[in-house]
Amino acid sequence: MIVVVEVALALGLWQVFGGGGLIPTPVQIIAAALRIVSSPSFADNLFSSLGLTMSGMGIAIILALIVSYLSLLPAFTPIARFVVKCRYLTLTGLIFLFTLLTQDGHQLKLSLLVFGIVPFFVTTLLSVIDSINMQEYELCRTMRMNNWQTLYEVVILGRLDQVVEALRQNFAIAWMMITMVEGLSMSEGGLGTLLIKSNKYIDLSTVFGILVIIFAMGILFDYLLKNLRFWLFPYAKIQIRK
Amino acid sequence: MNAIRQHPTYVKKEVLMAVENVNLTFNKPILREVNFTVRNIVRPGVEQGQVVSLIGRSGIGKTQLFKLLAGLTEPDSGSITVGPDQHPVVAGEVGMVSQNYLLFNHRTIKDNLKLALRHSSHITDDAEKELLIAGYADNFDLSEHMAKYPMQLSGGQRQRASIIQQVLTGNKFILLDEPFSGLDALMIDKVIGLLLKISTLDELNTLVIISHDVENALAISDTAYILASEPGKEGATITETLDLMKMGFAWDASIRQREDFQQLVADIKHKI
Repeated sequence: MIVVVEVALALGLWQVFGGGGLIPTPVQIIAAALRIVSSPSFADNLFSSLGLTMSGMGIAIILALIVSYLSLLPAFTPIARFVVKCRYLTLTGLIFLFTLLTQDGHQLKLSLLVFGIVPFFVTTLLSVIDSINMQEYELCRTMRMNNWQTLYEVVILGRLDQVVEALRQNFAIAWMMITMVEGLSMSEGGLGTLLIKSNKYIDLSTVFGILVIIFAMGILFDYLLKNLRFWLFPYAKIQIRK
Repeated sequence: MNAIRQHPTYVKKEVLMAVENVNLTFNKPILREVNFTVRNIVRPGVEQGQVVSLIGRSGIGKTQLFKLLAGLTEPDSGSITVGPDQHPVVAGEVGMVSQNYLLFNHRTIKDNLKLALRHSSHITDDAEKELLIAGYADNFDLSEHMAKYPMQLSGGQRQRASIIQQVLTGNKFILLDEPFSGLDALMIDKVIGLLLKISTLDELNTLVIISHDVENALAISDTAYILASEPGKEGATITETLDLMKMGFAWDASIRQREDFQQLVADIKHKI
């Protein structure tokens, strides 16, 4: 309730004292957002961005899971640690390399997105694995499980809910990156393309309107993924409540 | 120690577990020359297992000994052998109930119990497994909680589920780390009742309780070993063996009311 009042107050002050300048007022931004949403090309652009994000997230989580699970084997631990450090690699310097390696604009965007997300996914998943209590492995041993059965029970099955939580946490990164990678190849459209075009013409009402839409979509997906976790894994909610 | 009265009706038979000259060092000696044995106790006409306590103060090395007995870690020297054939212990032969009553939080209680049978039991028939689990659940007041997750149970209920899980693996040895910790007096009586019930399910069932709670550990045991350090020597060792059967303190439900038992408890508290 306090948050709602504070946000309303801030928007009110912005509306009253922020008009007349270069920065659009909240009413202008909302009007621009409604105009974008009701435009015929919006659905195409939205689904283009969503499709790219979902594909990227799907491929990235599979790669990240493989790297993270393999990190339990000593031979693969350095690889996983290196992938974690790749968070500090800027994508800008790698665009030319990826352009050479990929066949079209879609592949370029997708591969850059995956390359950008995987290190963050692996970082989250490795911290989940590191936080597993040693007693859980010991419990498996007292129940005569072999190493593979223990891996499946404790690390894979036992932490599936936290994989969905990792998806939720890292969706924000993927969703933020989408505007950057869509700027590299605009033929497929997308919210990022709309944003870059509007920025080019300094159409700030539209820019802010698109940002509001991107923000709202991010919040919606955060909410959906959170509830998907509780729906698929009811015990996760009990643990959080405890 | 006052040997008060002899219990006339028991026989000590073969060695079920032997710990010989066990040493363990992590930077400094933790355990030094630990020696003790657990024998099969037979009481004519009574279904009787063994309940042994290892009593020591916190931080003395009880948990390390616990892991050694379970076959989860190996001593620097010495041996731990189990079973009538006295073979070296391996992980999976000795059940373990940790202090926090660990279960798999992503599985319901029923699935946790099923898992114990899946990896450890000779029973292959699903219907037979269901029947066995239902029987234990009924016997230990868990029937109405079978569909719940471990986090939805109280500490006592989780402890029961954890113990039954280990029983279902078919292990005759079950180690219990501080089973009375954090429980009120009423719950402790219930836990003692539960452990006695488990110990009498099979003649070879052997519960090894590792605890700093002198009174409750002595009240439930037939034999107790005191784990303590000796003056001038680093590392804990068995400093005293209490044959509670010989002393007339074993298998007596009203043992706490006896003055001589309370005197024994006071003596031991001073020694650990």
